Amino acid sequence: MAHKIFSIFLALIFTFLLLQGCAANRKYAWGNYDSTLYRHYKNPQDKAKNLDKLKEILEVAEREDRVPPGLYAEYGYALYETGNISEAIINFEKEKAKWPESNILMEKMIRNAKKQEENLRKSSTVSTSGFKEVGK
Amino acid sequence: MKNETRLFLALLLIIFFTSGCTTPKKKDYSAFKAADPHSILVLPVVNRSVDINAPDYFLSTISIPLAERGYYVFPVDMVKHLLEDDGMSDADLVHNADTMKLCSLFGSDSNLYVSIERWDAKYLLLTTQVTVDFDYKLKDCKTGDLIWSERKGMVYSPQQQNSSGNPFADLIVMAISAAVTKAAPNYMPLAHQVNGAVFAYPKGPGLPAGPYLPEYRKDYEKSE
Repeated sequence: MAHKIFSIFLALIFTFLLLQGCAANRKYAWGNYDSTLYRHYKNPQDKAKNLDKLKEILEVAEREDRVPPGLYAEYGYALYETGNISEAIINFEKEKAKWPESNILMEKMIRNAKKQEENLRKSSTVSTSGFKEVGK
Repeated sequence: MKNETRLFLALLLIIFFTSGCTTPKKKDYSAFKAADPHSILVLPVVNRSVDINAPDYFLSTISIPLAERGYYVFPVDMVKHLLEDDGMSDADLVHNADTMKLCSLFGSDSNLYVSIERWDAKYLLLTTQVTVDFDYKLKDCKTGDLIWSERKGMVYSPQQQNSSGNPFADLIVMAISAAVTKAAPNYMPLAHQVNGAVFAYPKGPGLPAGPYLPEYRKDYEKSE
């Protein structure tokens, strides 16, 4: 009997810790952002899948109005890397509007992406590194 | 069965108690309060382990616990790529670079310097012990000064999780679990746990609530 009570007690404490202590409710709708990033580092060549995953997370987060900091920017960068520059700019703008702390970096990214767009229009050769040009 | 469950729960409980939800120790937050950072830039992670993938994998666990403390966290993957494009892929170099220069490049309020001290698996006969250990330093962008630091490690041994009451059956289970862990030791749950625990405040020695939390500037008094 005493053992039974003890084990119930332990189970209750454990449940309490699980709910209260370490895994509290999240402020933002992260979805599976962490495992998406992990998979991205494990298979860096699979850029299309990473883009899809980020899009999914963002759609849910927007619906719930709980978009985490940095997510528009990460999605924008994934778009940028896959060549969708106009969509990338839209997402950099969204990050900037939602998080004033990102202003300086997003300004740079937008300026850089617009430059890239211009280059694309002029010729088909695109440099992959553009941060340096506007980083000064 | 009941014996097994009870032992399992007791061990899980011990893991929880030793792994982070512990009582806070006294820490001086005056520099942190004066700096009052609103945003955190996570710089490339220095790797002192032998696993070359550790810094990338670590990076995937850091944004959520930091942002959930109420700070703007710069997009870690984008920052990593931008620095690489700029010829700053060497984390040791970045850590030794001028803090304020990096700040002005990204427009951050504070920079987080993390070093992976341990990220390894020790293969014993019937089990595999996985260890992670991280060192964190937060520097203010206005002064370049250190405003918060912490070091935390954790050990996980799958052996602790199972006991059927039958020693022979236990041996087989342990051998199987060791084989699985040996093939692919999973560091991620441990890394998540360490990061989750290290930023907790005022329950832990972590970061006071940032501007995006309702407790912002209100949780200082509670702990002191």
